[in-house]
Amino acid sequence: MKRLSLFLFPIFLLQFWLGTAFSSFAFATAQAQLPATEDQDPVVLRVMVHERWFDGFRYLEQTAQEFERSHPGVRVEIQSSASAAGGQDKVKFVLAGRLPVDVTWIDITEFAAFLQEDVLLDLQEYFDRDPNWRPEDYFPQILDAIRNFDGHLYGLPSTFTPYVMYVNQSLLAQEGLAQPADDWTWKDLKRVARAVTRDLDEDGEADQWGISITQWLQALSPWIWQNGGRFLDENGRCALAEKEAIEAVDFLVDLLHREKLSSRDATFEAQLTFGAFQAGKTAFYGPVGYWETYRFKDIGRLQWDWPQAMGWQPTLQKGVGEQRKWQLPEVEGAWAAQSYAVQDRQALQQVLAARLAGFRNGRIGESEMMQSVGGGKHPLTLFRQRGDLEAADGRLWPDWMYLAGLLQTEPGWVLAELFGPGEAIAGLESGFRQSLAQAEVQGFRWDVMPLPRGKETATAVAMRFYVVPKTSRHPQLAYEFVRALAGDTMQAGLARIGNGVPGLKRAALSRDFLKPTVPPHRERVFLDVLENARFMPVEVNWREIEKQTKAVFEDAIRLGRRSAEEVCVEAAALANETLDRERWLLQRPPLPRSWFLYAQYSPAALFLLWFLSRRLRSKDRLAAREERAAWWFLTPWVLGFLLFLAGPALVSAILSFSEWSPVRDPDSARWLAGHQYQRLWQDGTFHDSLRITAYYAVFAVPLQLGLALLLALLLKPRFPGVGAFRTLFYLPTIISPVILGAVWRWLFAGKQGLEQGLFNQLLALFGIAGPDWLEDPVWVVPAFVLLSLWSVGAQMLVFLAGLQGVDPRLYEAARLDGAGAWARFRNVTLPAISPLLLFNLIMGLIQAFQVFAQAYVMTGGGPGNESRFLVLYLYEQGFRFLRMGYASTLAWVLFAVVLLLSLLILRSSSKWVHYAGAGR
Amino acid sequence: MTANAGPRGLAKGLHRALLLVLAAAFLLPLLWMVAASLQPQGKALEYGMFQFPEGLHPENYPQALAQMGGFGRLLLNTTLLTLACIAGQLFCCSLAGYAFARLRFPGRDGLFLLVLATMMLPPQVLAIPQFLFFRQLGLIDTFYPLILPTVLGGAPFFIFLFRQYFLTLPVELAEAARVDGCGFFGTYFRIMLPLAKPVVGTVAIFTFLATWNDFWAPLIYLNSEDKQTLSLALASFNQSYRVAVEWLMAGSSVILAPCALVYFLTQGWFLRGVRLSGKG
Repeated sequence: MKRLSLFLFPIFLLQFWLGTAFSSFAFATAQAQLPATEDQDPVVLRVMVHERWFDGFRYLEQTAQEFERSHPGVRVEIQSSASAAGGQDKVKFVLAGRLPVDVTWIDITEFAAFLQEDVLLDLQEYFDRDPNWRPEDYFPQILDAIRNFDGHLYGLPSTFTPYVMYVNQSLLAQEGLAQPADDWTWKDLKRVARAVTRDLDEDGEADQWGISITQWLQALSPWIWQNGGRFLDENGRCALAEKEAIEAVDFLVDLLHREKLSSRDATFEAQLTFGAFQAGKTAFYGPVGYWETYRFKDIGRLQWDWPQAMGWQPTLQKGVGEQRKWQLPEVEGAWAAQSYAVQDRQALQQVLAARLAGFRNGRIGESEMMQSVGGGKHPLTLFRQRGDLEAADGRLWPDWMYLAGLLQTEPGWVLAELFGPGEAIAGLESGFRQSLAQAEVQGFRWDVMPLPRGKETATAVAMRFYVVPKTSRHPQLAYEFVRALAGDTMQAGLARIGNGVPGLKRAALSRDFLKPTVPPHRERVFLDVLENARFMPVEVNWREIEKQTKAVFEDAIRLGRRSAEEVCVEAAALANETLDRERWLLQRPPLPRSWFLYAQYSPAALFLLWFLSRRLRSKDRLAAREERAAWWFLTPWVLGFLLFLAGPALVSAILSFSEWSPVRDPDSARWLAGHQYQRLWQDGTFHDSLRITAYYAVFAVPLQLGLALLLALLLKPRFPGVGAFRTLFYLPTIISPVILGAVWRWLFAGKQGLEQGLFNQLLALFGIAGPDWLEDPVWVVPAFVLLSLWSVGAQMLVFLAGLQGVDPRLYEAARLDGAGAWARFRNVTLPAISPLLLFNLIMGLIQAFQVFAQAYVMTGGGPGNESRFLVLYLYEQGFRFLRMGYASTLAWVLFAVVLLLSLLILRSSSKWVHYAGAGR
Repeated sequence: MTANAGPRGLAKGLHRALLLVLAAAFLLPLLWMVAASLQPQGKALEYGMFQFPEGLHPENYPQALAQMGGFGRLLLNTTLLTLACIAGQLFCCSLAGYAFARLRFPGRDGLFLLVLATMMLPPQVLAIPQFLFFRQLGLIDTFYPLILPTVLGGAPFFIFLFRQYFLTLPVELAEAARVDGCGFFGTYFRIMLPLAKPVVGTVAIFTFLATWNDFWAPLIYLNSEDKQTLSLALASFNQSYRVAVEWLMAGSSVILAPCALVYFLTQGWFLRGVRLSGKG
């Protein structure tokens, strides 16, 4: 018998592979259609940076093509970096997967963690060997941020952005206030904010504010630095509990909650909704980076479609030139709209002369003057040299920059050629004034300015940079491609589309970045504040500390329910705890070598041993044959169970007693014994998430059951169109949670934005002012409960099936006994479907405790921790903070909770579940 | 089939009214999705739900698909993946379900409880060790990690459905087949499986919906541009503020449409499958 089993097992394996042969075949053919270019020839360089949907993707493709041309035999393969999962997570999966990616990019806040995990290639020697490498081509502050403690450079910047203040100049003008000078202070901010904040509709609440304060940690950091505060002291301890930091937080609490000079809007997570700033309701918005210009740039933009505006088109087309599309692919936005190749210069001169006359008289606005007229000649170089730009008077330069920029445009140099530079500048200047006046009419003339000063001057910088993972198979080529990515084509392209400030100086100082026709007019501010830039501490798990601090700070800054001092002290304590743990971790003993393999395969090995050594317990031959057949039948499941469930579960159980970063080798895991489970007792975030998840489950599960049952009852009788209704109620279940979350985020949009979401619009019909669902700690969980009610389709289906299975004779009997509708429901229907009620209850419970995708997409856990569901917290620990050990601990706690509750329900079920007669 | 509420007259009116109200509540978000997908760029949030002051903009659809990059390839990948999962699920789950229902062997009920217990393991517990396992096998960035765990052992619910269904089939049928000389596998494959069509349909549709929408596994495992799936491509512009809501909604509608259609056409089957399994 034993020998037979030994012989059979390979066949079992074969059988399992046959089971999936279909799929293997299908994919083999699907993949065969691709050119089979592996790493032999040509060399394939795998690049994972910007996403395909990204506006600047064409520059990436262009860069790749240029690279291929200059490196014959090399093929650049661009892979999607799928920013969906919080942007950086995908990079971690890739590094964790040991995939041979040659170039990728990371966020500056992740740099320390990646350094610690030792997954990035030190590029210093490559830079040293490169004769063409000139560090002075890049902003020194930016390069310094990409160096490790030894000063070795690990990559080159993509784009970066310092934090600045956005200002609505229209609103200031409307309130009769002057825009503060660039060296303004906190006092100035408060003074102006007080003057702007007003209750226009006199409902007792302000609806026009001085400022919209952004509230994620990087945006809060400048305030702390400016007040002389710091995140870490010289001993590497968190210094947020120091007086300076507390004062800074208190200043914000004051603006937001005591004086109420700030709108509550402006959270990063809610950036998809229209903000109060964009609605023209706040004078200042910040601290925030360059990326916001992307949202606002079309507001107050100068109109370049001059032919329509001037009614010129026919004349030009007939008399002057031949219309053609501008050929350069990089000409962006309005530039790309239409340009005209002008052949008859004389005709043009006449037209322009006439126009300029009108222009000078102030009859014609700048936008009409802005004509793109092609020609082979280079624009004026007068203002182009960097020296000139940098020599420009600090006070004057914004306007000068703007005019210089205009002069570099084709209409500018045509004007200059026609009338001389002095005339042209004078003409353009008056046009400039007029265009500003025009933007005023729209109520949203906006620009940027430096942050107000505190005791010190400081700002934060957000940045991503290109790196080479250690897994790269072609490090030299990868390095060269990093150079290309941070080179002219890409950097100028990114500057042009407004992705951020290019790290390459000459791109940042070019027209591509300083874009004369697109607001903000003072892009230069972003470059000027760079000298005061500071970076967050380079600590391994800064991401986690950032998250913790943000959540704690929100209690004071966003919700105003605790004092600045309280939250600062708590944040510092939490951060120190994390810092201590990280340092303590390094001293812990490692797990035995190759523990992962033993754990992964031991269930399979044990089973095999047992299987081979066991005696068939069935005595007679027929029964023995049946038993063997049964094992055959179960082979796929047993294999799956052993390899994909039992093995991984054991690994995860071991991990829950240790700590390990998923981007490293499993052998680097360290044994913590019961520490992770002890930590649960002190972990406030865990308590919050458990409480919130339970709170959600208590409401979501019964309400779901009730609604599902109601729907099933309504859909049970046959009537015309019942199929359509059944489909409709089931449809939401089909939608992937990701889409679900995206759609519902809009539906829940609250009152702070420009317009109400659908939900509040409906409530308004009944005269109810809806809450700011996802921003309000009271309403955020109920919002998720509402969302869960929308996807009760599966439960409805189970009930429906059960209802249809109820014996009609039971109803007849009840009717004859004179039972009313309720009595029939109570005494016939409910008992009949009680097993399904049990089934749905337990499934609903499991699902309720595993809520993840919706929260991930809709709130990211906020406000505070008020929607940080257990699985969301688990995900953050494991995949964002790279603490897979603690994530496993959380997972097992989750399992224990669900198991316990399910068992309790099962125990109680004998009292209320009615099983019809003959067995189950 | 007699209705228990016996809706006639007033009751019938009430029934229809309640149904319509609920239907409207369920429909609104979907309608909003479609309506938003037809607004001009950047205007979906500005205009009210069914106001189209700038007319309809169906060109959002081709644009959104173009943004996802290589729609044909995405569709092919997703379809192949879905088909593979369906075929695998049907084969493995029906085999196991049949063994639990109709074959006698020691420890059967204990093993079946184990099957049900695995339902409670949160997928997050297993995600990383599975990932490590596949990495060790060198299968990252292939479709195997998306198929194997799902197909093998990953579907206790489907095993349960099959078992319950096979239990309702008369024992005599199998015995007759045995007497006629059919082996265990022959009995299962030639006699019992063809009778289990409703459950086969149900499992197929459930699997279709789950695989079609799966986002998590493709996100972790798939990397190459040519291996992306629809929901992954869609999700990749979900979180970006640069991408218009209108496109996002257009993409969502496109991905949802086949699911809705498949479900609508097959819901009769579906219901029967669930119902018959529930009987045991």
